[in-house]
Amino acid sequence: MASKILTTTLRRSLTLKTIPHIRPLSTATAAVTEPSDEISMKGVKISGRPLYLDMQATSPVDPRVLDAMIPYFVSRYGNPHSRTHLYGWESDEAVEVARTQVANLINASAKEIVFTSGATECNNISVKGVMHFYKEKKKHVITTQTEHKCVLDSCRHLQQEGFDVTYLPVKNDGLIDLNELKGAIRSVTGLVSVMAVNNEIGVIQPMEEIGEICKEFNVPFHTDAAQALGKIPIDVNKWNVSLMSLSGHKVYGPKGVGALYMRRRPRIRVEPQMNGGGQERGIRSGTVPTPLVVGMGAACELAMKEMEYDEKRVTKLKDRLLNGIRAKLDGVVVNGSVERRYAGNLNLSFAYVEGESLLMGLKEVAVSSGSACTSASLEPSYVLRALGVDEDMAHTSIRFGIGRFTTEEEIDKAVELTVNQVEKLLTNRFGILKKW
Amino acid sequence: MATVVAPPCRAKILSLFRSLLRSSRQFPDYNIREYTKRRTIDAFHHNKSLSNRSSISTAFTDGKYQLQVAKRQAIVYRMYSPKAKSIMDINYTAHRSVTADHSATTDCVVSTFYQLVGLEANDTPC
Repeated sequence: MASKILTTTLRRSLTLKTIPHIRPLSTATAAVTEPSDEISMKGVKISGRPLYLDMQATSPVDPRVLDAMIPYFVSRYGNPHSRTHLYGWESDEAVEVARTQVANLINASAKEIVFTSGATECNNISVKGVMHFYKEKKKHVITTQTEHKCVLDSCRHLQQEGFDVTYLPVKNDGLIDLNELKGAIRSVTGLVSVMAVNNEIGVIQPMEEIGEICKEFNVPFHTDAAQALGKIPIDVNKWNVSLMSLSGHKVYGPKGVGALYMRRRPRIRVEPQMNGGGQERGIRSGTVPTPLVVGMGAACELAMKEMEYDEKRVTKLKDRLLNGIRAKLDGVVVNGSVERRYAGNLNLSFAYVEGESLLMGLKEVAVSSGSACTSASLEPSYVLRALGVDEDMAHTSIRFGIGRFTTEEEIDKAVELTVNQVEKLLTNRFGILKKW
Repeated sequence: MATVVAPPCRAKILSLFRSLLRSSRQFPDYNIREYTKRRTIDAFHHNKSLSNRSSISTAFTDGKYQLQVAKRQAIVYRMYSPKAKSIMDINYTAHRSVTADHSATTDCVVSTFYQLVGLEANDTPC
């Protein structure tokens, strides 16, 4: 009996120490231990993984979502469209459950959800699909200048085909002028597309008011709610949207999946962009990726439960970040409306500081300037230009993304690193530390 | 006659709390570890005022399910953890103990829990 207890304790203590990285017996005589923790990439050396403050680019997968997905990779790997065996039936059941979970988050019916490969595909289906379907009678699209690249690119494609597109300007705070929207609607307007929460500056557009205007003029209303899902309460009936694009990897779900909400009453029709076997009611043919869809469903259900808790926490962290930076630095400007914004997206411009050097110095914090899809080009973001921000302030903007997993210590460390880097750049530039 | 399931006694709830915190320490990822710990404490704090028997049972069952999820995912995260740890773990090793002495941390956490839920130290075990 005693030997049994001894062996179990021995086994337990051994497993604790030996699960990670077992080094085999090395025959190297030169005892130069490589610093296994140091990362060297793209000419930059950092001691550990940076702290992640770029939640608008993507969000980490929640372990509860991963837990829901793994069975569908390991054992329940059937094709949901196979009708003849258990693998297909259980896969199909999982897809339908996920559909209901997504629909519940936006107060829609499960029959109105179509799964796609992401919000970009949803935006393409909405903009191009709707206009191609109604091309006999409707020739005009209204959108804003601060939309996501995929919407703007689809509109440009429609312009080349001969459609008419109005790009509404935004005010200095990032919100559109409702009177301008009313003035722009014509009898041949086929679609109004305004994103709910902007991915670069985080402003929330007046969705209910826009929905009312569209209802009054009987124009279909499409919104890109990828950044809004799970963060602000969404109700498709209150907003009166006909089409809504949703993305999985912004709500702590997997990448590669999204959902398109298409209203049934009154029915909106689209021309499919992916032709094939007629899956997803013919709107989007192709095998539905069960594990990804299950992940998105689990993420949406989690978001519904955790929305209030996350929102309170994110607001608190955002205040901590902003106050921490403002206490030590002057000339910090928040881009976008301060009242109508989502707290987890903080876009700051620092006066008299060069943006690229600031980002290069902030290698221990994962932040971005502008959006991920435009960060490759050297031009300042078109969103900030549309806001009317000066060229030099637009160059120096940084977007901090706060999410469910961000901690107070990370915020404090980010404040410390940002302030240090900005002060260093100010000193280098002027020789003395410039204080206002 | 439907049998009424008795809601879990305080010792069981305490044991669930401790197990959840223990499982949170098993995560090698800094963010997930902190989140699990914080969420557990906040959830138990939020639910401490529940008085309805069925809602207490539901919350307890949900807690047990979350514990199973956390245990499984801790193993998965450990198997695939990157070699380089987060900067927060490297800089703050003085304040955090991932694999160090468990008993001291557990006692400190248990006393915090007592304060949170207003339990007496010598509550009768079930």
